[in-house]
Amino acid sequence: MKGIRLASIAAAAITPALVFAAPAHADPDTDFAKELHTYGIYGQKDYNAWIGKITCKRLYNGVDQDADKSAKFVFLQMQKGSTTEQAWQFLGAALRTYCPDKLPVLEAAAR
Amino acid sequence: MWIKASVAAAVVTVAAMGFAPVASADATDDYPIPNRILRTPCTAEQIMAAARDVEPVYYERYMIDYNNKSPEVHQAVQDRIHWFFSMDYAGRRQYSEDTATNAFYEQLAWNWPNWAKLFFNNKGVAAHTTDICMQYPRDDMSVWNW
Repeated sequence: MKGIRLASIAAAAITPALVFAAPAHADPDTDFAKELHTYGIYGQKDYNAWIGKITCKRLYNGVDQDADKSAKFVFLQMQKGSTTEQAWQFLGAALRTYCPDKLPVLEAAAR
Repeated sequence: MWIKASVAAAVVTVAAMGFAPVASADATDDYPIPNRILRTPCTAEQIMAAARDVEPVYYERYMIDYNNKSPEVHQAVQDRIHWFFSMDYAGRRQYSEDTATNAFYEQLAWNWPNWAKLFFNNKGVAAHTTDICMQYPRDDMSVWNW
């Protein structure tokens, strides 16, 4: 049972990548904002893009060592009233959009 | 009657002089350097670490600017901000006064006008960083590498 649930989390991390795969010429910040909207996350497009990119940078620089820390960082930057689930959705979208090579961090958290 | 009116006028005039506000060029306890920064026991590195977590965009922009400066300016900025935070309240307040009243006082500003923006420019940022800066290590120089 637990295995199935975790598998679905992992699937959730990967599937949207296919759904939201955009044409190569598109502006990633716009795609990122659009994906956030599907999670009910709004706010300034540029600000959210900054947070997405900085989230990646923190993983590269070792300031955040795992997805839990990343999600916590993201949650701190989100509007008041945002949920933990939205923070994780934001994190997934950010990694897929700005640093897909860091997606294993998310998969490790689902394990 | 005339005498009475002139006495009243004189009283009003004297009062106005007594309460004349400070000239606008002078520093206040919150300008140009926010009061929280004048009083915080934190080091520059603690404030930067806090900013990285709670004001990430502000920190990012400052560091982008910083990274575009020369190694000489980097060293000068670090030395100057360490010197600033090594002072007590009175010393910092005096520095605030000096920079407010003399545009040429801070030599470093010639090399980089926004050299202390992360620390001095925004009261809201100063409030957020000084709220939590004590929970970070005092001498972690890695906050300058970003």
